[in-house]
Amino acid sequence: MRSKVLKPILAIYTGVFILFLYAPFLVLGVLSFQTGPEGGPQFPIIEWSTYWYRNIFGLTPPSRIAPLPIGESLVRSLTLAFMTMIVSSTLGVMSAQAFRKRFYGSGGVFYLIVLGMMVPGVLVGLGMALIANYAGIERTWWGTAFALHVVYTFPFAFLVMLAIFNRFDASVEEAAWSLGVSPFRTFRKVTFPLIFPGVLSAMLFAFTLSYDEFSRTLFSSGRYLTLPLAIYGTFSVEIHPNVFAFGVLTTLFSFALLSVYAVLMSASVRRARRLVLQEDAS
Amino acid sequence: MSVVTSVNSTAATKPVRVPRRRTGNATAYLLVAPGVIWMLLCLILPIAMMVYVSFWTQTTFKIEPILTTKSWQLFFSSPTYIGALWTTIRIWLIVLASTFVVGYPTALFVGLFVRNKTLSTVLLVLCVIPFWTSFLIRVLAWRPMLGEQGAINIILQFAGIIRQPIEALLFTELSVVIGMTQIYCVFMVGPIAFMLGRIDPNVIEAARDLGAGFGKIFRSIILPLSMPGVVVGAIFVSVMVLGEFATSAALSGRKVNLLGNIIVTQVGSLKWAFAAVAGVVLTFVMAMVVSLFLRIVNLRQEL
Repeated sequence: MRSKVLKPILAIYTGVFILFLYAPFLVLGVLSFQTGPEGGPQFPIIEWSTYWYRNIFGLTPPSRIAPLPIGESLVRSLTLAFMTMIVSSTLGVMSAQAFRKRFYGSGGVFYLIVLGMMVPGVLVGLGMALIANYAGIERTWWGTAFALHVVYTFPFAFLVMLAIFNRFDASVEEAAWSLGVSPFRTFRKVTFPLIFPGVLSAMLFAFTLSYDEFSRTLFSSGRYLTLPLAIYGTFSVEIHPNVFAFGVLTTLFSFALLSVYAVLMSASVRRARRLVLQEDAS
Repeated sequence: MSVVTSVNSTAATKPVRVPRRRTGNATAYLLVAPGVIWMLLCLILPIAMMVYVSFWTQTTFKIEPILTTKSWQLFFSSPTYIGALWTTIRIWLIVLASTFVVGYPTALFVGLFVRNKTLSTVLLVLCVIPFWTSFLIRVLAWRPMLGEQGAINIILQFAGIIRQPIEALLFTELSVVIGMTQIYCVFMVGPIAFMLGRIDPNVIEAARDLGAGFGKIFRSIILPLSMPGVVVGAIFVSVMVLGEFATSAALSGRKVNLLGNIIVTQVGSLKWAFAAVAGVVLTFVMAMVVSLFLRIVNLRQEL
Protein backbone atom coordinates (compact mmCIF):
# COMPACT_ATOMS: atom_id res chain seq x y z
CA MET A 1 0.00 0.00 0.00
CA ARG A 2 1.45 3.34 -1.03
CA SER A 3 0.42 6.51 0.61
CA LYS A 4 2.34 9.71 1.18
CA VAL A 5 0.31 11.20 3.99
CA LEU A 6 -1.27 8.25 5.69
CA LYS A 7 1.75 6.03 6.15
CA PRO A 8 3.82 8.47 8.26
CA ILE A 9 0.76 9.33 10.35
CA LEU A 10 0.09 5.68 11.04
CA ALA A 11 3.77 5.07 11.76
CA ILE A 12 3.76 7.84 14.37
CA TYR A 13 0.51 6.50 15.79
CA THR A 14 2.03 3.03 16.11
CA GLY A 15 4.99 4.54 17.95
CA VAL A 16 2.63 6.28 20.38
CA PHE A 17 0.68 3.03 20.75
CA ILE A 18 3.82 1.13 21.73
CA LEU A 19 4.70 3.90 24.18
CA PHE A 20 1.20 3.46 25.66
CA LEU A 21 1.94 -0.23 26.13
CA TYR A 22 5.30 0.38 27.78
CA ALA A 23 4.91 3.67 29.66
CA PRO A 24 3.39 2.28 32.87
CA PHE A 25 6.12 -0.22 33.04
CA LEU A 26 8.87 2.35 32.57
CA VAL A 27 7.36 4.44 35.36
CA LEU A 28 7.21 1.35 37.55
CA GLY A 29 10.84 0.58 36.83
CA VAL A 30 11.92 4.11 37.71
CA LEU A 31 9.91 4.18 40.93
CA SER A 32 11.34 0.86 42.04
CA PHE A 33 14.58 2.78 42.76
CA GLN A 34 12.81 5.09 45.20
CA THR A 35 14.52 5.50 48.53
CA GLY A 36 13.19 3.56 51.48
CA PRO A 37 11.61 2.91 53.80
CA GLU A 38 10.06 6.39 53.91
CA GLY A 39 9.75 6.86 50.11
CA GLY A 40 6.30 6.14 48.73
CA PRO A 41 5.19 4.66 45.43
CA GLN A 42 4.96 8.05 43.70
CA PHE A 43 7.00 10.89 42.27
CA PRO A 44 9.21 12.68 42.92
CA ILE A 45 12.11 10.33 43.51
CA ILE A 46 13.50 11.53 46.84
CA GLU A 47 16.77 9.74 46.39
CA TRP A 48 17.88 6.92 44.09
CA SER A 49 18.52 3.71 45.94
CA THR A 50 18.25 -0.07 45.72
CA TYR A 51 16.53 -0.22 49.08
CA TRP A 52 13.40 -1.97 47.84
CA TYR A 53 15.38 -4.62 45.99
CA ARG A 54 17.30 -5.39 49.18
CA ASN A 55 13.98 -5.32 51.03
CA ILE A 56 12.65 -8.15 48.84
CA PHE A 57 15.60 -10.35 49.71
CA GLY A 58 15.29 -9.48 53.39
CA LEU A 59 18.59 -7.59 53.46
CA THR A 60 17.23 -4.42 55.00
CA PRO A 61 16.84 -3.75 58.70
CA PRO A 62 13.26 -4.45 59.85
CA SER A 63 10.90 -1.53 59.42
CA ARG A 64 7.15 -1.04 59.66
CA ILE A 65 6.84 -2.28 56.07
CA ALA A 66 6.72 -6.06 56.05
CA PRO A 67 8.70 -7.71 53.26
CA LEU A 68 6.63 -9.35 50.53
CA PRO A 69 5.70 -12.94 51.36
CA ILE A 70 7.31 -14.26 48.23
CA GLY A 71 9.84 -16.92 49.24
CA GLU A 72 7.59 -19.94 49.62
CA SER A 73 4.93 -18.74 47.22
CA LEU A 74 7.59 -18.45 44.50
CA VAL A 75 8.58 -22.09 45.03
CA ARG A 76 4.92 -23.13 44.93
CA SER A 77 4.26 -21.19 41.74
CA LEU A 78 7.30 -22.65 40.00
CA THR A 79 6.39 -26.20 41.04
CA LEU A 80 2.80 -25.70 39.96
CA ALA A 81 3.88 -24.23 36.61
CA PHE A 82 6.25 -27.14 36.07
CA MET A 83 3.57 -29.75 36.83
CA THR A 84 1.09 -27.95 34.61
CA MET A 85 3.63 -27.69 31.81
CA ILE A 86 4.31 -31.45 31.80
CA VAL A 87 0.66 -32.53 31.95
CA SER A 88 -0.69 -29.89 29.55
CA SER A 89 1.89 -30.45 26.85
CA THR A 90 1.46 -34.24 27.11
CA LEU A 91 -2.31 -33.91 26.80
CA GLY A 92 -1.87 -31.37 24.01
CA VAL A 93 0.43 -33.63 21.97
CA MET A 94 -1.87 -36.65 22.49
CA SER A 95 -5.03 -34.80 21.50
CA ALA A 96 -3.44 -33.10 18.50
CA GLN A 97 -2.08 -36.47 17.37
CA ALA A 98 -5.64 -37.84 17.58
CA PHE A 99 -6.91 -34.92 15.50
CA ARG A 100 -4.68 -35.83 12.58
CA LYS A 101 -7.40 -38.29 11.59
CA ARG A 102 -10.97 -37.15 11.48
CA PHE A 103 -13.00 -39.16 13.96
CA TYR A 104 -16.66 -39.14 14.94
CA GLY A 105 -17.27 -36.31 17.39
CA SER A 106 -14.04 -34.47 16.65
CA GLY A 107 -15.89 -31.17 16.20
CA GLY A 108 -17.45 -31.39 19.65
CA VAL A 109 -14.17 -32.41 21.25
CA PHE A 110 -12.44 -29.44 19.60
CA TYR A 111 -14.92 -26.98 21.08
CA LEU A 112 -14.78 -28.70 24.48
CA ILE A 113 -11.01 -28.26 24.61
CA VAL A 114 -11.03 -24.67 23.34
CA LEU A 115 -13.73 -23.81 25.89
CA GLY A 116 -11.08 -24.31 28.58
CA MET A 117 -9.22 -21.17 27.55
CA MET A 118 -12.37 -19.13 26.97
CA VAL A 119 -14.32 -19.61 30.20
CA PRO A 120 -13.29 -16.90 32.69
CA GLY A 121 -11.16 -18.08 35.57
CA VAL A 122 -13.47 -16.67 38.19
CA LEU A 123 -16.28 -18.97 36.98
CA VAL A 124 -14.35 -22.26 36.84
CA GLY A 125 -12.61 -21.29 40.08
CA LEU A 126 -15.96 -20.79 41.77
CA GLY A 127 -17.32 -24.06 40.34
CA MET A 128 -14.27 -25.97 41.45
CA ALA A 129 -14.48 -24.52 44.96
CA LEU A 130 -18.16 -25.52 45.16
CA ILE A 131 -17.35 -29.07 44.08
CA ALA A 132 -14.49 -29.31 46.55
CA ASN A 133 -16.77 -28.09 49.37
CA TYR A 134 -19.54 -30.48 48.37
CA ALA A 135 -17.30 -33.52 47.98
CA GLY A 136 -15.27 -32.68 51.07
CA ILE A 137 -12.01 -32.38 49.13
CA GLU A 138 -9.52 -29.98 50.61
CA ARG A 139 -8.63 -27.15 48.24
CA THR A 140 -4.91 -27.13 47.52
CA TRP A 141 -2.62 -25.49 45.01
CA TRP A 142 -1.27 -28.87 43.90
CA GLY A 143 -4.75 -30.46 43.63
CA THR A 144 -7.79 -28.39 42.71
CA ALA A 145 -5.79 -25.37 41.47
CA PHE A 146 -3.50 -27.63 39.44
CA ALA A 147 -6.54 -29.24 37.77
CA LEU A 148 -7.77 -25.79 36.70
CA HIS A 149 -4.34 -24.71 35.49
CA VAL A 150 -4.35 -27.70 33.15
CA VAL A 151 -7.88 -26.83 31.99
CA TYR A 152 -6.56 -23.37 31.08
CA THR A 153 -3.20 -24.24 29.48
CA PHE A 154 -4.03 -27.54 27.77
CA PRO A 155 -6.04 -25.77 25.01
CA PHE A 156 -3.06 -23.55 24.20
CA ALA A 157 -0.74 -26.56 23.97
CA PHE A 158 -3.35 -28.35 21.88
CA LEU A 159 -3.70 -25.46 19.41
CA VAL A 160 0.08 -25.07 19.07
CA MET A 161 0.47 -28.79 18.35
CA LEU A 162 -2.47 -28.73 15.94
CA ALA A 163 -0.71 -26.01 13.95
CA ILE A 164 2.54 -28.02 14.00
CA PHE A 165 0.86 -31.22 12.80
CA ASN A 166 -0.87 -29.25 10.05
CA ARG A 167 2.49 -28.58 8.42
CA PHE A 168 3.86 -32.02 9.24
CA ASP A 169 5.00 -34.25 6.39
CA ALA A 170 3.46 -37.65 7.15
CA SER A 171 5.50 -39.48 4.49
CA VAL A 172 8.44 -40.01 6.88
CA GLU A 173 6.12 -41.81 9.29
CA GLU A 174 4.68 -43.89 6.50
CA ALA A 175 8.25 -44.82 5.48
CA ALA A 176 8.92 -46.04 9.04
CA TRP A 177 5.66 -48.00 9.14
CA SER A 178 6.36 -49.63 5.79
CA LEU A 179 9.71 -50.75 7.16
CA GLY A 180 7.81 -52.54 9.92
CA VAL A 181 8.57 -50.15 12.79
CA SER A 182 5.84 -50.23 15.44
CA PRO A 183 3.63 -47.09 15.71
CA PHE A 184 4.87 -46.30 19.21
CA ARG A 185 8.52 -46.60 18.20
CA THR A 186 7.82 -44.54 15.09
CA PHE A 187 6.34 -41.81 17.25
CA ARG A 188 9.33 -41.86 19.59
CA LYS A 189 12.05 -42.05 16.97
CA VAL A 190 10.57 -40.18 14.01
CA THR A 191 7.54 -38.07 14.85
CA PHE A 192 8.58 -36.69 18.24
CA PRO A 193 12.02 -35.38 17.22
CA LEU A 194 10.39 -33.62 14.27
CA ILE A 195 7.65 -31.96 16.31
CA PHE A 196 9.96 -31.16 19.23
CA PRO A 197 10.24 -27.41 18.47
CA GLY A 198 6.44 -27.28 18.62
CA VAL A 199 6.39 -29.19 21.90
CA LEU A 200 8.88 -26.67 23.27
CA SER A 201 6.55 -23.80 22.35
CA ALA A 202 3.59 -25.62 23.91
CA MET A 203 5.61 -26.12 27.09
CA LEU A 204 6.61 -22.47 27.16
CA PHE A 205 2.99 -21.40 26.76
CA ALA A 206 1.82 -23.76 29.51
CA PHE A 207 4.56 -22.75 31.92
CA THR A 208 4.21 -18.99 31.57
CA LEU A 209 0.40 -19.01 31.56
CA SER A 210 0.31 -21.18 34.68
CA TYR A 211 3.05 -19.19 36.43
CA ASP A 212 1.05 -15.99 35.95
CA GLU A 213 -2.41 -17.52 36.39
CA PHE A 214 -4.37 -15.88 39.12
CA SER A 215 -8.17 -15.78 38.78
CA ARG A 216 -8.49 -19.58 38.61
CA THR A 217 -6.16 -19.99 41.55
CA LEU A 218 -7.91 -17.45 43.76
CA PHE A 219 -10.81 -19.68 44.83
CA SER A 220 -9.23 -23.07 44.28
CA SER A 221 -5.86 -22.97 45.99
CA GLY A 222 -6.93 -22.95 49.61
CA ARG A 223 -4.65 -21.83 52.40
CA TYR A 224 -1.23 -21.67 50.78
CA LEU A 225 -0.69 -18.79 48.38
CA THR A 226 0.92 -18.90 44.97
CA LEU A 227 2.96 -15.93 43.81
CA PRO A 228 0.17 -14.06 41.94
CA LEU A 229 -2.08 -14.48 44.99
CA ALA A 230 0.64 -13.00 47.20
CA ILE A 231 0.83 -9.99 44.87
CA TYR A 232 -2.98 -9.71 44.84
CA GLY A 233 -2.85 -9.59 48.61
CA THR A 234 -0.94 -6.30 48.40
CA PHE A 235 -3.76 -4.71 46.35
CA SER A 236 -6.06 -4.14 49.27
CA VAL A 237 -3.46 -2.63 51.57
CA GLU A 238 -1.22 0.34 50.90
CA ILE A 239 1.29 -0.46 48.17
CA HIS A 240 5.00 0.18 48.54
CA PRO A 241 7.75 0.35 45.92
CA ASN A 242 8.81 -3.18 46.87
CA VAL A 243 5.96 -4.44 44.67
CA PHE A 244 7.45 -2.41 41.81
CA ALA A 245 10.94 -3.78 42.42
CA PHE A 246 9.44 -7.22 42.48
CA GLY A 247 7.69 -6.54 39.15
CA VAL A 248 11.03 -5.60 37.60
CA LEU A 249 12.60 -8.81 38.93
CA THR A 250 9.79 -11.07 37.64
CA THR A 251 10.04 -9.44 34.23
CA LEU A 252 13.77 -10.12 34.16
CA PHE A 253 12.99 -13.70 35.15
CA SER A 254 10.52 -13.97 32.25
CA PHE A 255 13.17 -12.72 29.85
CA ALA A 256 15.63 -15.26 31.20
CA LEU A 257 13.05 -17.96 30.55
CA LEU A 258 12.47 -16.61 27.05
CA SER A 259 16.21 -16.68 26.34
CA VAL A 260 16.46 -20.31 27.51
CA TYR A 261 13.59 -21.11 25.16
CA ALA A 262 15.29 -19.25 22.29
CA VAL A 263 18.57 -21.10 22.90
CA LEU A 264 16.86 -24.50 23.01
CA MET A 265 14.82 -23.63 19.94
CA SER A 266 17.76 -22.53 17.83
CA ALA A 267 19.72 -25.61 18.99
CA SER A 268 16.95 -27.92 17.85
CA VAL A 269 16.58 -26.05 14.55
CA ARG A 270 20.35 -26.25 14.00
CA ARG A 271 20.33 -29.98 14.73
CA ALA A 272 17.50 -30.51 12.25
CA ARG A 273 19.45 -28.56 9.62
CA ARG A 274 22.56 -30.66 10.30
CA LEU A 275 20.53 -33.84 9.80
CA VAL A 276 19.29 -32.54 6.48
CA LEU A 277 22.87 -31.71 5.44
CA GLN A 278 24.02 -35.20 6.41
CA GLU A 279 21.25 -36.70 4.33
CA ASP A 280 22.23 -34.57 1.37
CA ALA A 281 25.87 -35.57 1.72
CA SER A 282 25.23 -39.30 1.87
CA MET B 1 -5.72 -32.54 5.69
CA SER B 2 -4.75 -34.19 2.44
CA VAL B 3 -3.68 -37.24 4.43
CA VAL B 4 -7.10 -37.50 5.99
CA THR B 5 -8.92 -37.33 2.69
CA SER B 6 -6.58 -39.76 1.00
CA VAL B 7 -6.99 -42.28 3.81
CA ASN B 8 -10.75 -41.91 3.66
CA SER B 9 -10.96 -42.23 -0.09
CA THR B 10 -8.77 -45.33 -0.23
CA ALA B 11 -10.84 -46.83 2.57
CA ALA B 12 -14.00 -46.12 0.66
CA THR B 13 -12.80 -47.77 -2.52
CA LYS B 14 -11.11 -50.73 -0.85
CA PRO B 15 -13.33 -52.43 1.72
CA VAL B 16 -10.32 -54.51 2.84
CA ARG B 17 -8.91 -51.42 4.52
CA VAL B 18 -11.95 -50.90 6.74
CA PRO B 19 -10.78 -52.87 9.81
CA ARG B 20 -7.47 -51.02 9.80
CA ARG B 21 -9.27 -47.70 9.75
CA ARG B 22 -11.32 -48.72 12.74
CA THR B 23 -8.19 -49.45 14.77
CA GLY B 24 -6.91 -46.04 13.68
CA ASN B 25 -10.09 -44.49 15.05
CA ALA B 26 -9.77 -46.44 18.29
CA THR B 27 -6.28 -45.01 18.74
CA ALA B 28 -7.66 -41.53 18.16
CA TYR B 29 -10.27 -42.04 20.87
CA LEU B 30 -7.67 -43.44 23.26
CA LEU B 31 -5.39 -40.48 22.62
CA VAL B 32 -8.09 -37.89 23.07
CA ALA B 33 -9.81 -39.58 26.04
CA PRO B 34 -7.58 -38.28 28.89
CA GLY B 35 -7.95 -34.69 27.72
CA VAL B 36 -11.69 -35.02 27.27
CA ILE B 37 -12.16 -36.65 30.68
CA TRP B 38 -10.06 -33.91 32.30
CA MET B 39 -12.15 -31.20 30.64
CA LEU B 40 -15.45 -32.86 31.56
CA LEU B 41 -14.45 -33.29 35.22
CA CYS B 42 -12.68 -29.97 35.77
CA LEU B 43 -14.50 -27.63 33.40
CA ILE B 44 -18.02 -28.83 32.58
CA LEU B 45 -18.74 -30.32 36.00
CA PRO B 46 -17.72 -27.14 37.91
CA ILE B 47 -19.94 -24.99 35.67
CA ALA B 48 -22.84 -27.43 36.12
CA MET B 49 -22.21 -27.42 39.87
CA MET B 50 -22.35 -23.63 39.85
CA VAL B 51 -25.77 -23.69 38.18
CA TYR B 52 -26.96 -26.33 40.67
CA VAL B 53 -25.71 -24.48 43.76
CA SER B 54 -27.34 -21.24 42.61
CA PHE B 55 -30.64 -22.93 43.57
CA TRP B 56 -29.49 -24.02 47.02
CA THR B 57 -30.76 -22.50 50.24
CA GLN B 58 -28.39 -19.94 51.69
CA THR B 59 -28.46 -19.17 55.39
CA THR B 60 -26.08 -16.88 57.20
CA PHE B 61 -23.60 -19.56 58.08
CA LYS B 62 -23.99 -22.32 55.51
CA ILE B 63 -25.70 -23.53 52.38
CA GLU B 64 -27.96 -26.56 52.21
CA PRO B 65 -28.91 -28.56 49.13
CA ILE B 66 -32.59 -27.66 49.46
CA LEU B 67 -33.73 -26.26 46.14
CA THR B 68 -35.11 -22.74 46.14
CA THR B 69 -35.11 -19.66 43.91
CA LYS B 70 -34.53 -17.29 46.84
CA SER B 71 -30.99 -16.37 45.84
CA TRP B 72 -32.19 -15.57 42.34
CA GLN B 73 -35.01 -13.38 43.63
CA LEU B 74 -32.57 -11.60 45.90
CA PHE B 75 -30.16 -11.01 43.04
CA PHE B 76 -32.76 -9.45 40.78
CA SER B 77 -34.38 -7.37 43.53
CA SER B 78 -31.14 -5.96 44.89
CA PRO B 79 -30.00 -2.67 43.37
CA THR B 80 -26.36 -3.57 44.21
CA TYR B 81 -26.38 -6.71 42.09
CA ILE B 82 -28.40 -5.26 39.24
CA GLY B 83 -26.09 -2.24 39.34
CA ALA B 84 -23.10 -4.55 39.05
CA LEU B 85 -24.69 -6.24 36.05
CA TRP B 86 -25.17 -2.91 34.29
CA THR B 87 -21.69 -1.70 35.25
CA THR B 88 -20.24 -4.89 33.80
CA ILE B 89 -22.11 -4.41 30.54
CA ARG B 90 -21.23 -0.70 30.37
CA ILE B 91 -17.52 -1.25 31.05
CA TRP B 92 -17.48 -4.12 28.57
CA LEU B 93 -19.00 -1.96 25.79
CA ILE B 94 -16.66 0.97 26.50
CA VAL B 95 -13.54 -1.20 26.62
CA LEU B 96 -14.61 -3.07 23.49
CA ALA B 97 -15.01 0.22 21.63
CA SER B 98 -11.78 1.71 22.98
CA THR B 99 -9.66 -1.36 22.21
CA PHE B 100 -11.05 -1.29 18.66
CA VAL B 101 -10.44 2.44 18.19
CA VAL B 102 -6.99 2.35 19.78
CA GLY B 103 -5.94 -0.91 18.15
CA TYR B 104 -7.24 -0.63 14.60
CA PRO B 105 -4.79 2.03 13.30
CA THR B 106 -1.86 0.03 14.66
CA ALA B 107 -3.20 -3.13 13.03
CA LEU B 108 -3.66 -1.17 9.81
CA PHE B 109 -0.04 -0.06 9.90
CA VAL B 110 1.40 -3.44 10.84
CA GLY B 111 -0.83 -5.53 8.61
CA LEU B 112 -1.19 -3.40 5.52
CA PHE B 113 1.39 -0.63 5.33
CA VAL B 114 4.48 -2.46 6.50
CA ARG B 115 5.51 -4.61 3.59
CA ASN B 116 8.79 -5.62 5.22
CA LYS B 117 8.20 -8.99 6.91
CA THR B 118 10.95 -8.48 9.52
CA LEU B 119 9.67 -5.08 10.57
CA SER B 120 6.09 -6.27 11.02
CA THR B 121 7.31 -9.22 13.09
CA VAL B 122 9.42 -6.88 15.24
CA LEU B 123 6.41 -4.61 15.78
CA LEU B 124 4.17 -7.52 16.78
CA VAL B 125 6.85 -8.88 19.14
CA LEU B 126 7.13 -5.40 20.70
CA CYS B 127 3.38 -5.55 21.36
CA VAL B 128 3.65 -8.98 22.99
CA ILE B 129 6.67 -8.35 25.25
CA PRO B 130 4.62 -6.62 28.00
CA PHE B 131 2.76 -9.91 28.43
CA TRP B 132 5.92 -11.32 29.93
CA THR B 133 5.27 -9.27 33.01
CA SER B 134 2.78 -10.56 35.52
CA PHE B 135 -0.77 -9.45 34.77
CA LEU B 136 -1.19 -8.07 38.28
CA ILE B 137 2.02 -6.06 38.09
CA ARG B 138 0.85 -4.56 34.81
CA VAL B 139 -2.41 -3.52 36.44
CA LEU B 140 -0.59 -2.13 39.45
CA ALA B 141 1.77 -0.16 37.18
CA TRP B 142 -1.09 2.17 36.30
CA ARG B 143 -1.28 3.52 39.83
CA PRO B 144 1.93 5.59 39.67
CA MET B 145 0.92 6.61 36.15
CA LEU B 146 -2.52 7.97 36.92
CA GLY B 147 -2.30 9.11 40.54
CA GLU B 148 -2.53 12.70 41.68
CA GLN B 149 1.26 12.84 41.77
CA GLY B 150 1.46 10.36 38.94
CA ALA B 151 3.49 10.55 35.78
CA ILE B 152 0.69 11.85 33.56
CA ASN B 153 -0.23 14.68 35.90
CA ILE B 154 3.42 15.64 36.36
CA ILE B 155 4.05 15.69 32.62
CA LEU B 156 0.91 17.69 31.91
CA GLN B 157 1.77 20.19 34.63
CA PHE B 158 5.34 20.44 33.44
CA ALA B 159 4.13 21.11 29.90
CA GLY B 160 1.87 23.83 31.29
CA ILE B 161 -1.30 22.25 29.96
CA ILE B 162 -2.93 22.01 33.37
CA ARG B 163 -2.36 23.87 36.63
CA GLN B 164 -4.05 21.58 39.12
CA PRO B 165 -3.44 17.83 38.95
CA ILE B 166 -6.40 15.95 37.51
CA GLU B 167 -7.83 13.91 40.35
CA ALA B 168 -10.31 12.07 38.17
CA LEU B 169 -7.57 9.95 36.63
CA LEU B 170 -7.18 7.41 39.40
CA PHE B 171 -9.77 5.45 41.38
CA THR B 172 -12.55 6.17 38.93
CA GLU B 173 -14.30 4.31 36.14
CA LEU B 174 -11.94 6.09 33.76
CA SER B 175 -8.86 4.52 35.28
CA VAL B 176 -10.42 1.07 35.00
CA VAL B 177 -11.18 1.71 31.33
CA ILE B 178 -7.65 3.00 30.64
CA GLY B 179 -6.07 0.05 32.39
CA MET B 180 -8.24 -2.53 30.64
CA THR B 181 -7.72 -0.89 27.25
CA GLN B 182 -3.97 -1.11 27.63
CA ILE B 183 -4.02 -4.69 28.84
CA TYR B 184 -6.44 -6.06 26.24
CA CYS B 185 -5.95 -3.96 23.09
CA VAL B 186 -3.17 -6.26 21.84
CA PHE B 187 -5.75 -9.05 21.56
CA MET B 188 -7.59 -6.78 19.13
CA VAL B 189 -4.47 -5.75 17.17
CA GLY B 190 -3.24 -9.30 16.54
CA PRO B 191 -6.24 -10.85 14.76
CA ILE B 192 -6.98 -7.67 12.77
CA ALA B 193 -3.36 -7.33 11.60
CA PHE B 194 -3.44 -10.99 10.61
CA MET B 195 -6.57 -10.53 8.45
CA LEU B 196 -5.23 -7.29 6.92
CA GLY B 197 -1.98 -9.03 6.03
CA ARG B 198 -3.94 -11.49 3.92
CA ILE B 199 -5.52 -8.82 1.70
CA ASP B 200 -4.20 -9.11 -1.84
CA PRO B 201 -2.42 -5.79 -2.63
CA ASN B 202 -3.60 -6.10 -6.24
CA VAL B 203 -7.20 -5.61 -5.14
CA ILE B 204 -6.34 -2.28 -3.51
CA GLU B 205 -4.17 -1.35 -6.49
CA ALA B 206 -7.05 -2.09 -8.85
CA ALA B 207 -9.44 0.04 -6.79
CA ARG B 208 -6.92 2.88 -6.86
CA ASP B 209 -6.49 2.57 -10.61
CA LEU B 210 -10.24 2.86 -10.94
CA GLY B 211 -10.03 6.17 -9.09
CA ALA B 212 -11.12 5.25 -5.57
CA GLY B 213 -9.75 7.42 -2.74
CA PHE B 214 -8.46 5.96 0.53
CA GLY B 215 -11.78 6.53 2.29
CA LYS B 216 -13.65 4.60 -0.36
CA ILE B 217 -11.04 1.81 -0.42
CA PHE B 218 -11.17 1.59 3.36
CA ARG B 219 -14.93 1.38 3.52
CA SER B 220 -15.52 -1.06 0.70
CA ILE B 221 -12.39 -3.26 0.78
CA ILE B 222 -10.23 -2.99 3.90
CA LEU B 223 -12.90 -2.83 6.61
CA PRO B 224 -15.10 -5.66 5.26
CA LEU B 225 -12.12 -7.93 4.69
CA SER B 226 -10.79 -7.30 8.21
CA MET B 227 -14.15 -8.01 9.86
CA PRO B 228 -13.35 -11.65 10.80
CA GLY B 229 -10.26 -10.35 12.61
CA VAL B 230 -12.33 -7.72 14.38
CA VAL B 231 -14.83 -10.37 15.49
CA VAL B 232 -12.12 -12.73 16.77
CA GLY B 233 -10.48 -9.83 18.63
CA ALA B 234 -13.84 -8.72 19.99
CA ILE B 235 -14.55 -12.23 21.29
CA PHE B 236 -11.15 -12.36 23.03
CA VAL B 237 -11.60 -8.91 24.59
CA SER B 238 -15.24 -9.52 25.59
CA VAL B 239 -14.58 -12.83 27.30
CA MET B 240 -11.66 -11.40 29.24
CA VAL B 241 -13.29 -8.09 30.20
CA LEU B 242 -16.56 -9.72 31.29
CA GLY B 243 -14.66 -12.07 33.60
CA GLU B 244 -12.53 -9.28 35.07
CA PHE B 245 -12.31 -8.29 38.70
CA ALA B 246 -8.64 -7.59 39.44
CA THR B 247 -8.31 -4.42 37.34
CA SER B 248 -11.44 -2.89 38.82
CA ALA B 249 -10.33 -3.88 42.32
CA ALA B 250 -6.89 -2.35 41.87
CA LEU B 251 -7.70 0.82 39.93
CA SER B 252 -11.17 1.88 41.02
CA GLY B 253 -10.64 1.92 44.75
CA ARG B 254 -13.68 -0.39 45.11
CA LYS B 255 -15.91 2.15 43.39
CA VAL B 256 -16.46 0.06 40.27
CA ASN B 257 -18.10 -3.25 41.10
CA LEU B 258 -18.26 -5.74 38.27
CA LEU B 259 -20.04 -9.08 38.48
CA GLY B 260 -16.60 -10.62 39.00
CA ASN B 261 -16.07 -8.41 42.06
CA ILE B 262 -19.48 -9.43 43.38
CA ILE B 263 -18.48 -13.09 43.08
CA VAL B 264 -15.21 -12.46 44.90
CA THR B 265 -16.85 -10.59 47.79
CA GLN B 266 -19.65 -13.15 48.11
CA VAL B 267 -17.16 -16.01 48.23
CA GLY B 268 -15.14 -14.03 50.75
CA SER B 269 -18.17 -13.90 53.05
CA LEU B 270 -19.02 -17.56 52.33
CA LYS B 271 -22.28 -16.68 50.52
CA TRP B 272 -21.75 -19.45 48.00
CA ALA B 273 -25.29 -19.48 46.61
CA PHE B 274 -25.24 -15.75 45.79
CA ALA B 275 -21.81 -16.10 44.22
CA ALA B 276 -23.18 -18.96 42.11
CA VAL B 277 -26.14 -16.84 40.98
CA ALA B 278 -23.81 -14.02 39.92
CA GLY B 279 -21.66 -16.63 38.16
CA VAL B 280 -24.59 -18.05 36.21
CA VAL B 281 -25.71 -14.55 35.19
CA LEU B 282 -22.17 -13.81 34.01
CA THR B 283 -22.02 -17.09 32.06
CA PHE B 284 -25.33 -16.24 30.42
CA VAL B 285 -24.21 -12.72 29.43
CA MET B 286 -20.98 -14.12 28.01
CA ALA B 287 -22.72 -16.85 26.02
CA MET B 288 -25.09 -14.25 24.54
CA VAL B 289 -22.22 -11.95 23.59
CA VAL B 290 -20.13 -14.67 21.95
CA SER B 291 -23.06 -16.14 20.00
CA LEU B 292 -24.00 -12.63 18.87
CA PHE B 293 -20.50 -12.09 17.48
CA LEU B 294 -20.49 -15.47 15.79
CA ARG B 295 -23.78 -14.54 14.14
CA ILE B 296 -22.31 -11.35 12.65
CA VAL B 297 -19.50 -13.14 10.86
CA ASN B 298 -19.43 -16.78 9.89
CA LEU B 299 -15.92 -17.53 11.11
CA ARG B 300 -15.67 -20.99 9.61
CA GLN B 301 -16.42 -19.59 6.20
CA GLU B 302 -14.14 -16.58 6.48
CA LEU B 303 -11.02 -18.02 8.09
